[in-house]
Amino acid sequence: MSIIENIKIALSSIFVHKMRSILTMLGIIIGISSVIFIVALGQGGTEQLKSLIVGPGNTVSLTYMPSEEEIQKNPTMLWTPFTEDDIRAVESIPEVAKVVTSSESFGTVRFRENHQEAYIAGVNQAYIEVNELHVASGRNLLASDFLGARRTAVINAKVQEELFEDVNPLGEIIYIDAQPFEIVGILEKPEGLLSSFDTMTVYIPWETLRAVTGENRISYITIQAENTEDLQIAGEKAAHLLNQIHGTEDAYQVLNMEQIAEGISQITGIMTMIIGSIAGISLLVGGIGVMNIMLVSVTERTREIGIRMALGATRGQILFQFLTESVTLTLIGGMIGIIFGSFAAMIVSAFIGFTLTISLPVILIGLGFSMVIGIIFGILPANKASNLDPIESLRYE
Amino acid sequence: MIQLESITKTYQVGTEKVDVLKNIDLTIEDGEFVAIMGPSGSGKSTLMNIIGFLDRPTKGKYFLDGKEIVDMQDHELARIRNQTIGFVFQQFHLLPRLTALKNVELPMIYAGVKKQERMIRAREALEKVGLSERMDYLPNKLSGGQKQRVAIARAIVNEPQVILADEPTGALDSKTSKQIMELFTMLNKEEGTTIVVVTHEQGVAAYADRIIYVRDGTIIQDDTNPEPGGDIK
Repeated sequence: MSIIENIKIALSSIFVHKMRSILTMLGIIIGISSVIFIVALGQGGTEQLKSLIVGPGNTVSLTYMPSEEEIQKNPTMLWTPFTEDDIRAVESIPEVAKVVTSSESFGTVRFRENHQEAYIAGVNQAYIEVNELHVASGRNLLASDFLGARRTAVINAKVQEELFEDVNPLGEIIYIDAQPFEIVGILEKPEGLLSSFDTMTVYIPWETLRAVTGENRISYITIQAENTEDLQIAGEKAAHLLNQIHGTEDAYQVLNMEQIAEGISQITGIMTMIIGSIAGISLLVGGIGVMNIMLVSVTERTREIGIRMALGATRGQILFQFLTESVTLTLIGGMIGIIFGSFAAMIVSAFIGFTLTISLPVILIGLGFSMVIGIIFGILPANKASNLDPIESLRYE
Repeated sequence: MIQLESITKTYQVGTEKVDVLKNIDLTIEDGEFVAIMGPSGSGKSTLMNIIGFLDRPTKGKYFLDGKEIVDMQDHELARIRNQTIGFVFQQFHLLPRLTALKNVELPMIYAGVKKQERMIRAREALEKVGLSERMDYLPNKLSGGQKQRVAIARAIVNEPQVILADEPTGALDSKTSKQIMELFTMLNKEEGTTIVVVTHEQGVAAYADRIIYVRDGTIIQDDTNPEPGGDIK
C-alpha cells in the first residue's frame, strides 16, 4: 500500500470531520506559528542589532568618561573630550589607519521662513568614507570642502522632508545658527530599524564648523585599524596615549561594540527561549489533542479496521495508515501555522520597521516539528488500531 | 485444498473454559460448494473464521494446499488471506465513505496492484456481479442486494481460491437472496471458485453440493447434496 493511498485515506477522514480536525489542529497551528514568529524575530532582530551597533568597517570608538573625582577637581574637563592635537597624536600610532571625528551639537537650521532644530555634525573626510554615507542626489563632501573649509553641507532625507517640502534643496542656501551654507548633496533614506531613529542631521566639514563657530571640541573619535586583528591594540594604544596627554587615569576608554552586540543578542536569545518554551508547551498540548482525537478516530473506525484486516491488510499497514493520518493532520496544522506565523512576522516588521527573516530553514524547522509531533503522538493510537482483533472489530457496532 | 486436522478452539469465559470447536477434521477440495449449517452458538462462525484465518485454533493443524499455516506470523497470514480468501459478510461490511468501485479496489491496494490495473479489474468484477451501472454510488445509495453484490465483487477481485460467506443472505429478502445464491453458484461452476457458505437456512444450504451440519462444536453430519439448486421460499 503506497504512501499516496494512505495520504488520500487520511485526507478524506480529515475532511469528513472538518470542525473536529480544525479544532485539533489549533494547538499545532498556535505552536508552529509562534515557532516561526520567534525564529524570524530572533534572526532578523539579531542581524539588525548587530549591524546597527557594530557599525560599518572594522572600527572601534573611544569614549571619554572622566571619573567623578577628576570632574570635581577640574569641572571644565567635562566639556573638552578631544582636541585637534589629540587627533594628530592618535593618527601617528602605526596601527591606526584612519581617525574618524565628528563634533555634534544641536543648532537651528533655517530655510526661508522654515526653521527647525537639527543635529549639526562637523565631520572629517574619514567620517564620510568609513560610515559609507551615500548621497541620493547631488554630491558628497569632497577633499576640497574640507581643506578649503567651504560652506557646503550635506543633509539627510529627514531634513529635506521637514524643511523643504516641494523645493529641490540642491543648490539652496540654508542658515545654521545664522551662518549660510550651500546644500550640495542629499543622503539616501536609510532602511529598516535605522529609519525610526533617523533624526534631522546636517553634515558640514569640521574645518568649516571650527572657522565659523570657533568650536574646537571634537565629540567623537572612531578609529579604523590597518588590519582587523590590530583593531583592539590600536584602540588601547590610542586610549593610553590620550590618558597620558591629558594626565587622566582612565577617562579615555575603548568602547567595544561587539561586546555590546553580543550582550544584546544574548538578551534576544533569552527572549527566544522564553517564547520558545511557550511554543513548546502549546505544541505539547496540541500533540496530546491530536493523540486524543486519533484515539477517538480509531474507536469510531474499529469496524473499518476489521474489514481492512479481513481484506488482507497487515498490522503494519494499519499502523502506517493511522500514523500517516496523524502526521497529515499535524502537517496541515504546521503549514497553516507557518502561514500565520509569517503573516504575524510581516505585520510586526511593518510596525517596528525592521525585517523579520523568514528563511527556508525556518519553514523547514516548522514542517519538521509538526511531522515529529504527528509521529510521536500518533504512535499510540496507530498501535492501538493495529493490535485490534479482526473478529471483534468486525462485530463492533 | 483446505485440510483441518483435529482443530480445537477454546475460549476462556470467566474461570470456565468453553470448547467452541472440538477436534474438527474437515477437508474441502478445490471447486467444492459447501454449506455449513447449524443453530446459533454451534461454532459454525468460529469454524469459518478459522478457515479464513481471522482466528487461530487453540489446537490442531491447518493445511492450505498442503502448507501448514498455524505457525505462520500475522503479516504472512494477512498476505495469504489477501491472495486466496474472499470474505462476504451478512452485514456487507462495505466502507461507507468509499464508492462501490473504491470498495472493490481495496483488496488490490493491499496486494500492491497498480492504479490503472486496479480500475480495470474492479470494473470487470462489478460487471460480473451485474453492477456496472452503479460503480460510482456510495453504499448508502445502494439496496441490500446491490451492497452484497459489491461485497462479492470485492471478494472475487483478487481471484481467490476460496470465498467464505457468513450468512450472506441473512439481511436480504428471498428474491434478492435467490439472486445472490445464484451468483455464488455461477462463480463456483464457471470460475471454479471454492465456495463455503455458513447459514442456518435450509433453502440457502440447498444450493451447495455438500452440506455439513455442526452442533456443539462438532460435525454431526456431512452430506453430499445430489440435486443442488434453489429452494428459497
